[in-house]
Amino acid sequence: MTQTLALFVDAYRELNHRKLFWVTLAISAFIVVAFAAVGNDEEGLTIFHWSIPFPFVSTAFIPRADFYKFIFSTLGVGFWLSWIASIIALVSTASIFPDFVDRGSIDLMLSKPIGRARLFLTKFATGLMFAAVQVTVFTVAAFLVIGIRGGDWEPWLLIAIPLVVIFYSYLFAVQAVIGLVTRSVIASVIGVMLFWMAISLVQSGDTVTLAWRVTQEITVERRQARLETLSENAARYESERLELSEKVRAGDESLEEELAEATTKSDLRAARLIDARDELMDEEETLEIAARVNDWFHAANTVLPKTGETIGLLERLLVKYAGLTIPDDSDPDDSVRQFGAMVGEREFKERMAEALDESHSYLWILGTSLGFEALVLGFGVWRFSRRDF
Amino acid sequence: MSTEERDPGLAVDLHDVRKVYPRKVEALRGIRMEARRGEVFGLLGPNGAGKSTLVKIMLTVVRPTMASGTILGQPIGHKPTLARVGYLPEKHRFPDYLTGRQAIELSGALANVGRSTRKARALELLELVGMSDWGDRLVGTYSKGMMQRVGIAAAMVAEPDLVVLDEPTDGVDPVGRKDIRDILLRIRERGACVFLNSHLLSELEVVCDRVAILVQGEVAAQGTIGELTSDSHRYEIRIQGPPPPWVEEAGLRSESGDDGETVLVLPGRESADVQKFIDRLRGESRVILSMNQARDSLEDLFLKFVKDPETGRNRLPGAARTTAPTRVTS
Repeated sequence: MTQTLALFVDAYRELNHRKLFWVTLAISAFIVVAFAAVGNDEEGLTIFHWSIPFPFVSTAFIPRADFYKFIFSTLGVGFWLSWIASIIALVSTASIFPDFVDRGSIDLMLSKPIGRARLFLTKFATGLMFAAVQVTVFTVAAFLVIGIRGGDWEPWLLIAIPLVVIFYSYLFAVQAVIGLVTRSVIASVIGVMLFWMAISLVQSGDTVTLAWRVTQEITVERRQARLETLSENAARYESERLELSEKVRAGDESLEEELAEATTKSDLRAARLIDARDELMDEEETLEIAARVNDWFHAANTVLPKTGETIGLLERLLVKYAGLTIPDDSDPDDSVRQFGAMVGEREFKERMAEALDESHSYLWILGTSLGFEALVLGFGVWRFSRRDF
Repeated sequence: MSTEERDPGLAVDLHDVRKVYPRKVEALRGIRMEARRGEVFGLLGPNGAGKSTLVKIMLTVVRPTMASGTILGQPIGHKPTLARVGYLPEKHRFPDYLTGRQAIELSGALANVGRSTRKARALELLELVGMSDWGDRLVGTYSKGMMQRVGIAAAMVAEPDLVVLDEPTDGVDPVGRKDIRDILLRIRERGACVFLNSHLLSELEVVCDRVAILVQGEVAAQGTIGELTSDSHRYEIRIQGPPPPWVEEAGLRSESGDDGETVLVLPGRESADVQKFIDRLRGESRVILSMNQARDSLEDLFLKFVKDPETGRNRLPGAARTTAPTRVTS
């Protein structure tokens, strides 16, 4: 315990020594002040005592508490903490492991009565302090602003603290191992940024191909429904034609003209039916391709950490448990063209949300991401334990 | 040999320590070495002889290819024992954001020394190494000598039974070296073993009770300086003029100088032996300028072992390469 505490105190001193830490904290403070300065009223946006007519953010459109929660989750956490502050943190903490394993300083650590695995993992945990302190200060300040200005003391907002720390830990684990292996600060920064970019592409690929798959499923369902209608129509016209044909054969010549017209209609319906079947087959083939591509992306995404989706959990949790209503001005009847098909916007959103809930559950997002992190750290511990310094 | 059978007076008891680095570079080739409690033990050798590797193996910084033996009665690699070992690595570096006092306290905390104890000891040790006035300044502002002083203090904070110092006087001025020597003697007086790795042979000669000379990964010699130089005891008689003709026949060696003087060298340490030669020289009316008893210095001894007997030249720095298969036990 003495050793662990000493390493954390040492990490605190290191943080205290880093200018970037205080710069980030100052920017966070500025953002919280700006956050407290804006608000919404019946007319629109307010900044201090000025009111700017902007109906899309008026209290009629979004309640004041939700306005703050929405800003906090999308801009405060989704943009500032998970992008800008994280990039600053990754640059600032990049030297932790290269410095740690540098000749002259690592000897002092390894010659102490502390196991290498424990030393590596404690050093990793202390490295997370940068993110933990930043996110805690920012979230608690935002919690107070939302309570005072929005009148809603919502404890679920504090879930942002573990979520952002977990999100940051995925990246810091990779950075720590790169720093351990290469002993280079530059390699640590570039390596983790490239990794972040790569996993972001995989996550985007998974989401985009899922959207394609859902769009294609809706399209196939529509085609199937249309095929059923056309099939019924074709059967009805064919039945009418057969009936007229029977009558004409029975000698009712007055119906010949009507029979010819019914035959034309029936043939037309039959031709449409064939076309619709072909189209359905094409769409089903496309759905199969979309599903297969999505499966590949999903498999890749499953084994990698899900940074964006971990941060996205905040909004999902706030919607589910804190009553956050995301403003949505779309018309239920609006259709949008995506992936070459027209689909109902509302229907797509609902189906996409269902698909995400099904294949991207909380457990899947956190469990598989933390599993990846555990593997990376396991490799780090193994490498650190076996290496000569 | 079980731990119980080992001599409890030994602080360091190494047997067959081997280290083969990648590409079959054999840094240590079966080291056997003993250092006792209450003595200053000096480890010397040319660059690349394996001194730092050996020290790092003792401190678990480097993993041995094969090693048996004990440190303070426990097997090499036994982590809890390291709480009783103080270590000053060569070219050590404390983080720039720490003050000297904080660096010493951190070292104590990592050795499981309680908070109040390590705070009190940090102040005492800063006083001991002459850094009281600098204790609360960042180590980034220290000179190399000051860093060494704080490093030694950090190595002593847990009141260790074994203190391993790798080039402790590196970058330290003559006054500082004297101070460090005094500190080493105080550690020895406490009953602890000081394991010293240094290039400064004259300093080792002054302070060490026993030494080991490491050459190309092997112990070339080990013992007290007296033991190691006992064969080199001699009498040197300086006379005026050329050497007498009977010198070689009498078993003496002569060295003539440009100033017309000659030094006659008589191996051995028996004073009776030298009397007859003095009488004979006087009988021949030779002028005896001086006579003194001499022996090899540590530097002479070191250079003798470093010299390759086949080529007569100093062995090249660096470890040996091996082609023999090696057994990995850890």
